[in-house]
Amino acid sequence: MDVLKEIEKIKKQLHNSVDVASRVIQKNGVFVGFVYLKSMTDNLIFSQALFEPISNFEGELSFEVLSEIVKANDVEECESADFIKKILGGAVLIFLSNSEDVLSVDILHFNTRAPQEPPTSPVIMGPREGFTEDYKTNMTLLRRRFHSEELVFEELVVGKSTQTKIVISYLDGIVDKKIVKEVKKKIESIDIDGIVDSYYLIDLISNRPNSILKQIGQSEKPDIISAKMLEGRVAIIVDNSPIVLTVPFVFLEDLQNSNDYYTNYTYSTLLRFIRVAAILMSVLGQGIYIALQLFHYNILPMKYLITIADSTQQVPFTPFIEILFISLLFQILYEVSLRLPSYLGLATSVVGALILGDTGVKAGLLSPPTVIVVAIAKIAIYTVPEQSSQITLLQYVFILIGASLGLLGIVGASIYFLAYANTIENFGAPYLAPFSPFIFSDNKDGVLKVPLSSMENRPKSFKNEKRKRINESE
Amino acid sequence: MKVSDRTITAGQAGIILFILLFANKVLVFPSLIFEGADFEAFLIPILSSILEMGLLYLFYKLKNRFPDQTFVQILRQHFGKAVQIVFYVAFSIYFLSKAVLLYNVTFIFFRNMIYKDAQNLVFLFALLPIINHLAICGLRVLGRTAQLFFPVILSIVVFCIIVGCFGIDSAPLLFQTSAAKFFTTFFRHFAPFGDTVFLFLIIDKVKVEKGQWKILFSCAGGALFLVCLVSFIFILSYSFTSFMHPFAIFEIMSFVKEYEGLGRLDLISMILIILFTYFQLAIYLKMFMFSFDGVFEKIDQVYGVISFNVLFLIIINFLIVNLEQAVMYGQHILPFFNVLPFAVLPIFVLVMFARRKKEKKT
Repeated sequence: MDVLKEIEKIKKQLHNSVDVASRVIQKNGVFVGFVYLKSMTDNLIFSQALFEPISNFEGELSFEVLSEIVKANDVEECESADFIKKILGGAVLIFLSNSEDVLSVDILHFNTRAPQEPPTSPVIMGPREGFTEDYKTNMTLLRRRFHSEELVFEELVVGKSTQTKIVISYLDGIVDKKIVKEVKKKIESIDIDGIVDSYYLIDLISNRPNSILKQIGQSEKPDIISAKMLEGRVAIIVDNSPIVLTVPFVFLEDLQNSNDYYTNYTYSTLLRFIRVAAILMSVLGQGIYIALQLFHYNILPMKYLITIADSTQQVPFTPFIEILFISLLFQILYEVSLRLPSYLGLATSVVGALILGDTGVKAGLLSPPTVIVVAIAKIAIYTVPEQSSQITLLQYVFILIGASLGLLGIVGASIYFLAYANTIENFGAPYLAPFSPFIFSDNKDGVLKVPLSSMENRPKSFKNEKRKRINESE
Repeated sequence: MKVSDRTITAGQAGIILFILLFANKVLVFPSLIFEGADFEAFLIPILSSILEMGLLYLFYKLKNRFPDQTFVQILRQHFGKAVQIVFYVAFSIYFLSKAVLLYNVTFIFFRNMIYKDAQNLVFLFALLPIINHLAICGLRVLGRTAQLFFPVILSIVVFCIIVGCFGIDSAPLLFQTSAAKFFTTFFRHFAPFGDTVFLFLIIDKVKVEKGQWKILFSCAGGALFLVCLVSFIFILSYSFTSFMHPFAIFEIMSFVKEYEGLGRLDLISMILIILFTYFQLAIYLKMFMFSFDGVFEKIDQVYGVISFNVLFLIIINFLIVNLEQAVMYGQHILPFFNVLPFAVLPIFVLVMFARRKKEKKT
C-alpha cells in the first residue's frame, strides 16, 4: 500500500481541514502512517498508546503484530469505505506499506465538564449530579444506577451533517417492547441535516408536533431518568445535550418533583396540591380578574368591590389593557434577565419591580390589585417550571377570553383545552392520565402521594411488561 | 372527516348520564312544577325519576342481549331499514329540540343574571365552538373530559345542597293540589326527562364489564335523587314564592348572599350551570351526530355537525326568539316528544324481546 498516497487521499476528502493530522515513520523498511483529528484525540494517549509501542518495536511490523502491540482497547480492522467515518469519530487510522489492511484505534478524547447540579432542577435533599453534554458520561451516570443486565443501550446516528449519536435506553423485561420499537422507528425515519440538541428531537418524534402542549419528558438529572425508566419508560440520550428525553410522557410527570421522593409523603402531597392550585391561579387568575371586573363585579363582596373600585377609578386604561401591559412588561423583564449576566439581572429586577411597578402605581397608570394579580400569576408559573412556556401562552389566551366573554368564556375555554389535551396520546399514554381516564392505582402517585411501600405496581397509564414492583415474588 | 368514536368505560358513561339527568333540571324545573302543583311538586321529580330508571333498566336488558351490536343493527335486524331510519330521524329531532330548550333556558338565565341585555351572538360565540370541538373530538374525549370535571361538578352540587339546607324555613302542607292539576303539571314539565335514551344510541360503545352495571345505576340514581333533593330544598326554602324565583340552584345559593369575607356564593352555582350547559349541549350535539349517522350512513359525520349548527341557529334566531315562545315550546310541544323514549322505544324493545323469546322456543 502506498501510505503517503492514502493519507493524501483522506486529507483531500476532508478538504485539508486544519485539524487533520498525519505522521509517517519508517520502521525496519516498513512505512507506518497515522491519520487522525487533532481536535478529537489526546496527544498524550496517542504517543503512549500508539506511537511509542510502534517506534520501540524491534521486529518486523505486520498488520497482525500491529494489532497486538498498540496499547488500546478499541482496535479493529477498517474497510476503506469507513475511513472518513472512523476518523471523524475520533479514531486513529494506521497504514502499513507492507499490508493492504488498515487498523483503526479509537482514542477519542475531548474536554467535557464534570457532572454538576443542574441549574434547572436543584434539590434540597437527594442526588445533585446532572447529565453533561457527553453522551458516554451520561450513559455512565445511568449505568451506575443499574447494576443489572436489564439496562440496555441502543445507539442510532441521526443527521447528515452532524452524525449525532442518539442512545435509546430502557430496562429490558420492564419496558413494553412496542414502545421501544416505535421510538426506534420514529428516530430512524428522521431525515435531517443535523441534530444540535435533544430539543430538535422533541419536535421530530412527537405525535402532534403542532400542539402547544409538551409531549416528551425532559430531565437533566440521572436519578429522575432512572426512576422513570423503572416505571417502564424509554430514555433518549442525545450526544452534545445535557437534557435526556423520556417517553411516554403524561402531564402528571411535571407535577411531580424529585424533592417529593426525598421527603415525607404527606408533605409531598401538600406540595402537589399547592402546585395544582398554583397552575390554576397562574392560568386562570388574570382572566378571572378581568371577567369579574368587566362582567360580574356585582358578585364580589362589598368590601372588596369598594377597595378595587377605589384603586382602579383613577387608572386611565381598561382592565384588559392594564393587565396586558403589566404581563408584557413582566415577560420583557424575564427575557432580559435570562440573557443578562447575573450581576446585571439584579439591576433589572430592581428596575422592573421598584421603578416601573411602584412608580406606575404612584403615577396612577396602574392599579395595585392588578399588579398583585399579575405578580401572583407570574410567580405561580414557577412552581411547575417545566410547564412555564405552555402556561404563559395559556395566560394570554385566558386574558383575552376573560375580557371578551367573561366567566362563560373562561369555563368554556377550560373545557376546550382539557378536551384538547384529552385527544393527545403519546406512545399509548393518555396525556391527562391518571386523572382522565381515571386510574385509581396510578393516583397513589398523582396529586396525592402515598408512601413508596404502598406503591406496589408500576403505572397503568401506559403499557409495561412487569406490573408489580414491590413484593414481586408474592 | 371521520370522527373517531372509540368505546367509553361504564364510569364515563355513568358520568355523562349523571350530567344529563341532573343538569337541565336544576334551573327552571323546580320553580315551574311548584307553580303548577304547589307543595306536591316534589312528587313530580320522583315520579319522573322512576320512569327514567325504567328506561335505564330497559337499556340494561337490551345491552345484555346484544352486547356488541349497534342500535342501528338491532333495529334493522328486527324491524327493517325503514323503521330504523324513522327512529333515527325521530332521535335527531328529539336531541335537537332538547338542545334548543336547554339553550333557551340558559340564555334567559345568563342574560338576567350576568350579561345584562347581551345578544344571542355573544352566547353562541362562547358556546358553539366549544360544543362542536367536544363533539368532533369523539365520544371518548367527551367522556374523559366529563370525567375530569366530574369531581368539581359533584362537589359544587353537594355544596349547594348543604348550603340550601340552611335556607329551609317551613314545613310543607301536603295534598292541597288536585290530581288533575298535579298530572297536568307533571306532563307539562316532563320535557327535561328522557335523556337516558342516549345510551341506546351508543349501546355498542359503552364497555360494561361484569359487575359494572351498578356504576351506571348509581350514577343515574344519584343524579335523580339529587334532582328530587334540590327541588325539595328549593320548594321549602321559597315556600309560597318559589314561582318568583325561576333559577332554582342559583336562587338556593343567593339565599346566603354574603358569607363574611367570601362574598356571594351564587358564583359557585353559576359556574356549575355554565359547566352543565357546555357538557349537556355537547352531548346533545354528539347524539344528534349519531342519529344523523344512522339516517345518512354513507355521508361524512361532519355534515351532522354542520346540520345541527344550521338548524340550531335557525330555530333560536327565527322560531323561538322570546321567553313566551320558549315557555310554549318547553311546556306544550316538547313533552310530546318524550313519547319516543318512554312509549315508542320501550314498545319496540319489548316486541323485540318477545320475538327473540319466540324464536328461541321454536
